[in-house]
Amino acid sequence: MKALLYKEFRLVTHPMTVLFLLLSAMLLIPNYPLYVTFFYCTLGIFFACLGGRENGDVFYSVLLPVQKRDLVRARILFSVVFESAQMILAVLFSLLRIRLLGAQNAAGMDANLALFGFSMLLLGIFNLTFFPMYYKNPAKVGKSFAVASVLMFVCILILESFCFVLPIFKENLDTPDPQFLSEKCFVLLFGVIFYVGLTFAADKIAERRFAQLDV
Amino acid sequence: MAVLEIEKLCKRYEKFALQNVSFRVEEGHIVGFIGRNGAGKTTVLKSLLHFVMPDSGEVRFFGQDFSVHEQAVKQKIGFVSGGVRFYPKKKLHTIAEVTSRFYPNWDDTAFKAYLQRFSLDLEKTPEMLSEGMKVKFSLALALSHRAELLILDEPTSGLDPVSRAELLEEFLKLQKEGVSILFSTHIISDLEKCADDIVYISNGRILAVAPLQSFLESYRAVSFASAAEVQPFRGCLIGLTEEKRGCSALLTDADAQRLKIPAAPADLEQIMVHLERQACV
Repeated sequence: MKALLYKEFRLVTHPMTVLFLLLSAMLLIPNYPLYVTFFYCTLGIFFACLGGRENGDVFYSVLLPVQKRDLVRARILFSVVFESAQMILAVLFSLLRIRLLGAQNAAGMDANLALFGFSMLLLGIFNLTFFPMYYKNPAKVGKSFAVASVLMFVCILILESFCFVLPIFKENLDTPDPQFLSEKCFVLLFGVIFYVGLTFAADKIAERRFAQLDV
Repeated sequence: MAVLEIEKLCKRYEKFALQNVSFRVEEGHIVGFIGRNGAGKTTVLKSLLHFVMPDSGEVRFFGQDFSVHEQAVKQKIGFVSGGVRFYPKKKLHTIAEVTSRFYPNWDDTAFKAYLQRFSLDLEKTPEMLSEGMKVKFSLALALSHRAELLILDEPTSGLDPVSRAELLEEFLKLQKEGVSILFSTHIISDLEKCADDIVYISNGRILAVAPLQSFLESYRAVSFASAAEVQPFRGCLIGLTEEKRGCSALLTDADAQRLKIPAAPADLEQIMVHLERQACV
């Protein structure tokens, strides 16, 4: 797995994938739907998979002394590293935002712990939608990404709407930290658990589908 | 001892099927896998390593079931499919460095020796290489992890005659070093230069598995000046083909001796053409 992960970083990583990490700085935009920041993380993953397709990565990888399921695991692990890096950078930029602009955000969820919890959930949903579709047919990476990102935007729309219509969001979750800290910590924990669970499920389904795929 | 045994391999597609494909590759042999375009050569080779998942059948490398010992088996084999079709813009040294990490047996000294032998420049990228050099780079990668069996899918396709001859010469050198080779081709002259055995596939079925010489000796080529001359032998003729001046066909060696027809030794091209024609009838 170590060698496969090395291969992902050395051969597969697209320059845009790294560049998109820096878009965590979008958390500094005043009055902006902050969940959108995490969409760019998924775009980075898409670029890596697209680059893989254009460079014959699947063909190269199946020749290596590994099993097909290891290839899926390595790509998903690579994505988890990338998503985690984006999350860490986003936390740093949100701290900077609080210092410069304050946590409040008129366009939707404030930059707080609940935002990160729900963002983890969004990334989990993306992983569960994108990877099983992608590994069913890696040649159609665009279609897989289109479906996964549309679903992600629908979820973002729903979550942002909740900030204006649901009292628990309006009064408790969409507030600057450390107000209602225990509720937000619960959301963060819920987000992390769902992210891990959904990504694990994505891996299992994708492994099964890729094992049956003729390359 | 067999380095590769395939038994009753089947794979069904909507318009094509591999049907009970069985053959073996003996240690130290060069086996030519022949058949016309679309006969199923690539599907068989890809099925061996589960790039294409077979519906049924057994594949054993070095006596080990591939399904169970995939990783261990892949350490001992090299698969080359018409050169480097991956990472066209990455430098060869980057591809080699990444690849080497997967093989505990990687021999850097051997790799450098192959680079020199094949005149490969590691600062180049695959897209800068000719087709022949791409195949040679793939061979260098495979041989540097001490592959004992090379599986090559149409390695000589698209090569000029000089590059083809060079590559076939390399096969013979590798055979002397103890490497077994299974390579598919539809270029008959390649086989005549270096194969010990042939496996002949037609429309997803294996038609012949034999040492090259005995396969050649099992058929005779006959020519007839007119259609009238053909009539008495029609039942025994294989793949009767009309030509500008009469017609030609194959006979089995046994039929040729029994019927006492003046027949010439058949070459591989004649055998393949007439067998394919017969299969189409």
